[in-house]
Order: sequence, then C-alpha cells, then structure tokens
Amino acid sequence: MHLIVNGVEHEIRSDALTSLLRVLREELFVMSPKAGCEQGGCGACTVLIDGQPRRACLTPVAAIDGASVTTVEGLSDGVELAPIQQAFFDGYAAQCGFCSPGMMMAATALLAETPHASREQIMEALEGHICRCTGYVKIIAAVESVTKAGAV
Amino acid sequence: MKAVGARLPRYDGVAHVTGRTKYVADWSVQGMLACKGLRSPHHSARIVSVDTSKAEKHPGVFAVATHKDMPKNIVGHLEALGVPADEPYLAEDEVRYKGQLIGGVAAIDEATAIEALALIDVKYEVREPFLDIRKAFDPDQPQLTEKGNVFFYDPYDHRKVTKGDVDAAFEKADVIVKGSYRPSAIEQAPIEPQGCLVIPESDGRLTVHTCTQAMYFTMGVLAEHLQRAPGSIKLVGGTVGGGFGGKVDSATEPLAAVLALKARRPVRWIFTREEEMLCGSVRASWHVEIADAVTKDGWILGRKVLTLHDAGGYTRFSSYGATKHSFHLAGAYTVPALRTRAYVVWTNHVPTTAMRGFGVTSASFAVELQMTRIATMLELDPWEFRLKNANRPGDLMPTRKLLEDPSTIDTIQACAEAVGHPLSATYRDMKNEPRSGEWLPDHLRDQAANAKLGNPQGAAR
Repeated sequence: MHLIVNGVEHEIRSDALTSLLRVLREELFVMSPKAGCEQGGCGACTVLIDGQPRRACLTPVAAIDGASVTTVEGLSDGVELAPIQQAFFDGYAAQCGFCSPGMMMAATALLAETPHASREQIMEALEGHICRCTGYVKIIAAVESVTKAGAV
Repeated sequence: MKAVGARLPRYDGVAHVTGRTKYVADWSVQGMLACKGLRSPHHSARIVSVDTSKAEKHPGVFAVATHKDMPKNIVGHLEALGVPADEPYLAEDEVRYKGQLIGGVAAIDEATAIEALALIDVKYEVREPFLDIRKAFDPDQPQLTEKGNVFFYDPYDHRKVTKGDVDAAFEKADVIVKGSYRPSAIEQAPIEPQGCLVIPESDGRLTVHTCTQAMYFTMGVLAEHLQRAPGSIKLVGGTVGGGFGGKVDSATEPLAAVLALKARRPVRWIFTREEEMLCGSVRASWHVEIADAVTKDGWILGRKVLTLHDAGGYTRFSSYGATKHSFHLAGAYTVPALRTRAYVVWTNHVPTTAMRGFGVTSASFAVELQMTRIATMLELDPWEFRLKNANRPGDLMPTRKLLEDPSTIDTIQACAEAVGHPLSATYRDMKNEPRSGEWLPDHLRDQAANAKLGNPQGAAR
C-alpha cells in the first residue's frame, strides 16, 4: 500500500485494517491528528483525504490505498503559517490545543471549496468537532476572519 | 504596566497551530511497552482469587502487576488534610465499583496486552450493590464498610454549619418553601484521554511523562505508592489536552511505574475513551433538600438543608467537596439563620474528584432553583427577589465570614441589563452598600450589629 502524506509518498507496512490514524501516528510519526475517542465522535483526528475532511480513526488504511492525505503538518511551507493557522494563533482559537488540528483541517476543506463561507456554513463544517474547553466562539471567529481576508 | 490588558501572543500558540505540541500520547521511546488495566466488571464483589500465571507466560508479555506488586497500595489523596486513606490503588480483596482497577499488563503492543488481560483469572463473589444515596441510613441496604455507608467527619458523621436561631426563624415565617434538587454526576470528558509514559532510567531514576493537572501532587502520590524519594522521580508534563479536574487523581502513573520497574522497560498507558468515561472519576452526584422560612414580601428568614453526596466507592476528594458545598449553601444571598447537614455517602458508583468548583456548583444549582421556586410561589419577580436578599457589605456568610465587598447586586443588575429584563426603579438603582433603612429589616439587625462591632465570629444569639 502507498499513501502520499503531505506531498511525500510512503510505502505503508501496517496491516490493511489498521486505522489511518494509527498509521499516521505509529508508522509515519505524523502526530498532529489526535486520538480523542477513536470512535468517530470527537473530530480530533480529522485529516484531508484527497481534499475531503475525514475521520482518520474510522478509515482503514487499505480503503484509501494510493490516496493523498493532508494533515496540519502539511498546511504551511515551514516558513510562514498558513492563513488558517495564523488566524487560530492570532485569535486565541487554540486553548488546550488538542482539538485544534481537527478543527483546522475541517476549516481548510471548507475554505478550499467555499472561500467566502458564511458563519452558518462555518458552523456546519465544524459540527461534530468537540472543543471541551468550549472555545467555539473564538474558533468560529478565527475561521470567519480568513473568509473575510479572502486568503486561504 | 504595559502588559496589563495587552493581548500577548500565547507562548505555546505556534506549537498548537502547527501540530508540534507534544501531548502525553505523542511521546514514544525505544523499547516502549503498552499497558492495559484489568478492571472489575461488577459494581460490588468480593475477590476470591486472582491468577495471573497464564497471562505472565503469554508471548509478548513483559510484566503483570497486582496489588502485591505495589510497595504501598493505600495512599490517601487528602491525608495531609486529615482525611484517612481508604482506597487501594489496585483492588485487594474486594471491588466497590464497576471499572475498579485490579491489576495490569505491560506487553509488546496493545493487542497483546488485551489478549493477556483475558488470560487473568479473577474469581468474584458478586454482591448486591448499594447505589441509592437516599437509602444511606437504611440498615437493610448493603454496607460498604464496617462502619456503614457514611463518611465520618470527626466528631460528627456529617459536615455541619449552624448560624443564628433557625427554629425562631421558622416560627416567624409566613411560608415554608421546600425543594429537592439532584444534580447528576458529570464526567470531565477532556478530549485528550489521560495517560503517562514511565521510563526507568539507567541511573535508577524514573522519568514520567504525564498529562496530570497537578505535577507536584502526582509526584507525591507516586513517590508514596512506590515508597521512593520524590527526588528519584522526574515528572515531565504541563501540557494537558484539557483536564477540568479529571486529571488530578494520578490514575495511570502508579500502575505504569510498577510495570516499568518490573519489566525494566518504558511503559506507556493511555486511557481509552471508554475508560475515561466509565472508570475515570467524576464530579459527584448530589441530593439536596432545602426548606426556607420566608415572609410574604420576600425576605428569607432562615434555611435548613440536608445534603447527601454520592462519593462512590471510596472517599477520594468527596469529604473536601462536601465541606466546600456546606460553606456555600446560602448562595450569593444573606440568610441570617441557617442549619445545614451534609453527609458523604459511599456507594458502588465510580469515586468522585475535582471538576471546576466541585462542591460549590451543586450548592449553586440547588440554591438558584430554590430561589426561583420561592419567587414563583410568592408571585415575585425572581430577579428582584434575588436583589432583595443579595449579599451586601457587612453581611455574614453561613460560616460567619464577614463580607467586605460582595458583588451580587452589581452582577444581577448587569445580567438583567444584558438580557433586557426590566427592573423596577428601586432595584435598578440599588447600590452595593451596607444595610440601612428598608434594607435593614429586624431579622438582619443582629448580624449587622455583630459586623459593626468587628465581631463576625460572635454568634447572633
């Protein structure tokens, strides 16, 4: 099996039914996707699979052989923060930080498709992402600030 | 003073938004083993025997631990406050709640550890559980300890707060308003499940990566369990993926440490979501009965409260929570005569711990619902009824603590404005000032006199 993770191709040696989350964290050491529940309930493991936001914990790696996977590590060029990262940083949208990677990936998918997403669309895109610090107001405001700046 | 009010960048902000923050489950080291805990499937049972021999021989298993491996198994979280230690970290001859930890396995990977758990043979003698705190004093109910189901606050079996002449207040009342309030247990539910990674170093020290909310507390508890000097344990932490009180119990460190020492390998134990929700300690559930002596025009003359606190199987932080609860049973209001009794009841539920003002939140929940109930019965505006009885400078709390600058009046007025609730001029213009005139009725004169004399400790009668 192969995966392209953040632009780099990897041969995958984990068992076919291993979750993408475990493959990323335990085989490739890509650590930003988090195991909050491993039941698809919290959203902390969300990554982009061929551009679509997906729960890595519910995705058997064999089901996406050959796919392109993007995580937070792949958002920036390593020099400048991506606009969504900058917005989360500037707007204090990451409190404990544990849900932030999943939130940012869901927001990235939304903004790629709908650069000027409305507040309602933002809330819909982030549904199912739990922030137990209850920082939702700042998170939504951070995503909204990117839609207003117009840069994704 | 340029920093005050300034929006400073978070020191950990860039790491958070780039995914580089290392939470406890993000650490790994060479040779690391996975730990899984063996837990009771019963609410209440006697443990007849535990046979770990098959699990020990299972390929890939490096160590199995039970209470016999723990140098000091019973360590109290609040021994320094005089609360006797009553909880074995690993169950010995009984289990008092479903999910109670009995032992654990360190194996080459999680799957092997889970296989090994299934090979541990525990023989239980299942008992009838005790689950309803309202039956705390029923001798026919199952008894958790030789001394019954109620924690002993020396010299009483409850936390007692008494202020003023309660019986006289109830005689004078126009109406007695009674209510029962039952806030349920709440799981703190951080998105990061709790866990640790314990590394036995070649110099004999232990390095412990942990998500604990309380580094030095955990160091002390772990050192006591292991009977080691705290200096031989190096805790690495401070990065917590949400805690909210649920990560102060040192739940994972002692087992992982004992297994690491036994296996001479690093051991990591991260709770599953199920363990976090079902076995991790919770904010307690409570049963609070309030009876208030009130006048028709909306003064509270006196209050009686009976509180039952569901501690779960062991005391843990419950006795402390019920004490905080007792001190706050007047809420943000002045109740001149008050008699409260709070009982900490052991049950076969999961034990309780901290969660954001634990103890006080249950008092607020009960008191605020009771305030609304009284206002509704008397057909008074619930906002104005609260303002009328609001704490003022010079008032005394249930413990006779003198209030110097309470904020009840300002807060209620601001809330009313924020939600657009109209207040009559009397209450809109009310000031947070010491009592005088119509705001110093006869029933509040005694405590006002005491406060003026600089004698808040002196009983009104």
